[in-house]
Amino acid sequence: MKITILGAGPGGYVAAIRAAQLGAEVTVIEESEVGGTCLNWGCIPTKTLIASAEVLHKVKNAHNYGLDLEGTASPDIQKIVERKNRVVGTQVKGIRALFKSWRVNLVEGRGRIEGPGKIRVAFKNGSSEDIHSDKIIIATGSRPAQIPGFSFDGLHILSSDHATNPAFIPRSLIIIGAGVIGCEFAFINNEFGADVTLVEMMPHAVSGEDDEISELLERELKKKKIKLLTNTSVEKAVVKGEGISVQLSDGNTLEAEQVLVSVGRTVNTKDIGLETAGVKTGQKGEIMVDSCMQTSVKDIYAVGDVTGGIMLAHLASREGIVAAENALGGNATVNYDVVPAAIFTSPEIGSVGLRERQAAAKGIKYKTGRFPYRALGKAHAMGEITGMFKIISEEGTDRILGAHIIGPHASDLVHEIAVAMEKGLSVRDIARTIHAHPTLAEGIMEAAEDVHGSAIHCLKR
Amino acid sequence: MYPDDVKYHKEHAWVKISGSKATIGITFYAQESLGDIVYVDAPEVESTVEAGTELTQIESTKATSSVICPLSGTILEFNEELIDSPEIINEDPYGKGWIAVIELEDKSEIGALMDADEYEKYLDEEVKLK
Repeated sequence: MKITILGAGPGGYVAAIRAAQLGAEVTVIEESEVGGTCLNWGCIPTKTLIASAEVLHKVKNAHNYGLDLEGTASPDIQKIVERKNRVVGTQVKGIRALFKSWRVNLVEGRGRIEGPGKIRVAFKNGSSEDIHSDKIIIATGSRPAQIPGFSFDGLHILSSDHATNPAFIPRSLIIIGAGVIGCEFAFINNEFGADVTLVEMMPHAVSGEDDEISELLERELKKKKIKLLTNTSVEKAVVKGEGISVQLSDGNTLEAEQVLVSVGRTVNTKDIGLETAGVKTGQKGEIMVDSCMQTSVKDIYAVGDVTGGIMLAHLASREGIVAAENALGGNATVNYDVVPAAIFTSPEIGSVGLRERQAAAKGIKYKTGRFPYRALGKAHAMGEITGMFKIISEEGTDRILGAHIIGPHASDLVHEIAVAMEKGLSVRDIARTIHAHPTLAEGIMEAAEDVHGSAIHCLKR
Repeated sequence: MYPDDVKYHKEHAWVKISGSKATIGITFYAQESLGDIVYVDAPEVESTVEAGTELTQIESTKATSSVICPLSGTILEFNEELIDSPEIINEDPYGKGWIAVIELEDKSEIGALMDADEYEKYLDEEVKLK
């Protein structure tokens, strides 16, 4: 069986390796760099920048830990970016090595579907090559969405791609969109010394998260003196000398050295031959797929951002595995009810399952349990006490419906609940499980206890 | 610990009246039970607040708690010193650690507040025994 995959991001490269593991002859076509947005302009670069920001924060606050440091600590953005490039480079090599080891054929050019089972690859030097296969998996991903009047120039108006590769730290930065990407860059740039203002159309920052998480994050923004304007949209931008001025929907004008536009992502479905192949797309150009990740055309699958759903690397990877297995005769599906998500703000956010408002909207009878990081000895020892754990469960069955964590290591901690949800466990199952002391994970156990009003380290209510 | 020139609210806030204005803070007992204060949220100046409702929130190393406004009025001023040095509340709860000044809406509400002796008695008999 020959399988060709368009795109080597976290959807495509994972699909390639699984297909190869199952015995297929696999070709991956990538016009840019393996690892896709995630590895080159997204997840990994931002986490690398955040690591630098976190060390800077710790050094600046060393006195709180009883350490005397001489001199001042300041970010050297060139060296920070060099470090980021080294990290990305290592990961890229890692994927290339995996391809070699599984005998996945990597073709570096731009692929376009030309007919059933036929993809033409155009190379940078002008030549081309036709690749024939039994099945195709489309994993072409997405790119930063543009808004009218804010064309990316990489100098005054940046996309998140630009922001992962900063040439300098702006004195002031306006970030349009206080979603996941906007908030991560807000904390990074603030720590590096920029004066940051977030402009958000919705009533809250990270409005996709549980309301209490948004509320707590908004306070942390305030503590860091990052300004947040909610219920506000932008009208236009005018370059003015060294900086840029942005006109807001409320009539006010903001000025800054740079503007970062992070208002979402657009699917990459143009000019990849979808019309030729007869693959159906939706209103935003996204590829429609069934629960097996198959498109409207037999033998063509699509995974990840290009399908227009939740744009998360790890979901794309799971979809890639499902598509690869199904293309090779399997019958796998994705469980969209249990998709953990991580936001690397300061503090971090980890979430899985239903938000409280979603549980209420569905008419589910639910209970909630909460526990503050402040009540954990480990959090005090670490000197990071801001945060909370929240668990939502179904009344009666006690089944866990969702969990929302904001605080240090929230992105790692949330997976305990993800496994519990995947296996249909109850809040009592979590509460009865011994959690090691002193750890942050104790907070999950206590929040589970709190669902039934029996958390040990909570004052009597 | 409980000066005579201010009035007390049962939710452990104090007010100092001066004409139509009132300065508000939290009591010695409140700051002591909260422990080290690490953050005071700035309330919106010019917004109105009703007696017995939340004026703002305070975070300490132990908890996040509401500061209850003893009287109704319009917030005129927030103590901006608290933004960078919230620990002033622990050090000087009735002086430099004041939280906000409000323009009073209804001076008759003052009658419902306690004086220092009444507040201390209330602490001994109702709060500390709980």
